[in-house]
Amino acid sequence: MRMRRHTQEQHESSHGIDLAPMLDFVLNLLIFFIITAIFVKEFGLIVNRPTSFEQSNEKSESIAIEILDTGEIFVDNRVVDARAVRANVERLHAVNPESGVLILADADAPTGILVEVVDQVHLGGIWNITFSTNE
Amino acid sequence: MQSRRHTPETEDHGIDLAPMLDFVLNLLIFFIITTSFIKEAGITVIKPPALTAENRESGNILIAIRENGEVWMDRRQVDIREIRTMIERLHIERPDDTVVVVADRESHAGVVADVMDEVRQGGIKDISIAADPGGEG
Repeated sequence: MRMRRHTQEQHESSHGIDLAPMLDFVLNLLIFFIITAIFVKEFGLIVNRPTSFEQSNEKSESIAIEILDTGEIFVDNRVVDARAVRANVERLHAVNPESGVLILADADAPTGILVEVVDQVHLGGIWNITFSTNE
Repeated sequence: MQSRRHTPETEDHGIDLAPMLDFVLNLLIFFIITTSFIKEAGITVIKPPALTAENRESGNILIAIRENGEVWMDRRQVDIREIRTMIERLHIERPDDTVVVVADRESHAGVVADVMDEVRQGGIKDISIAADPGGEG
């Protein structure tokens, strides 16, 4: 059987024609799986949840941001607009560069507001965010 | 060339196809395996926009939360208490798995927090909240 291959070695194209029916099928499968693999890319924000261990030695200097069920945002006990969170965080970050952010959201607060606040805090330069809810 | 295909020994085909088919089938197997790794949620939700969202290529267990509080995982609606056992099972199968919580922008933060807690109790610590990177911040 190996001999036969050598007799036809001169024609490169003969391989391609032999492969056609099975390769068509396999390549179609391959393309299908490549395309579906691309579809499931997700973009996400990483936030921490407080564990009982972390809660016990929670640093007092962390910046607290509260979100009410109405969507109102409180930074340092003052109501701020969602777009102003970044400026507030930048200011507090400059005062204490090691502080993290603790987001205290009401259980009924919309996730859209939560993600917007997380995004603003990221833009303000802090990536250490802990997210907690009060039931 | 066509006449060669009608030879009685069918093994000839296999030997001829070997080098290229090895390569293509390996690629195919790779993609089949990687796709089956991803546990899709089964529904699409309107994700909240965020400018700083990172690409989570390793995020392969998706848990969706609808605006009415329904939780979807692995193409079916699940109870929040089921998530822990499902995550435990998946975590044993593949310890490198990470979770992306895909929450609707109108869903409640309390449900998101509950789901994240259940996932963490199931053994997976790497959790992120999905966002749409193209949107306005």
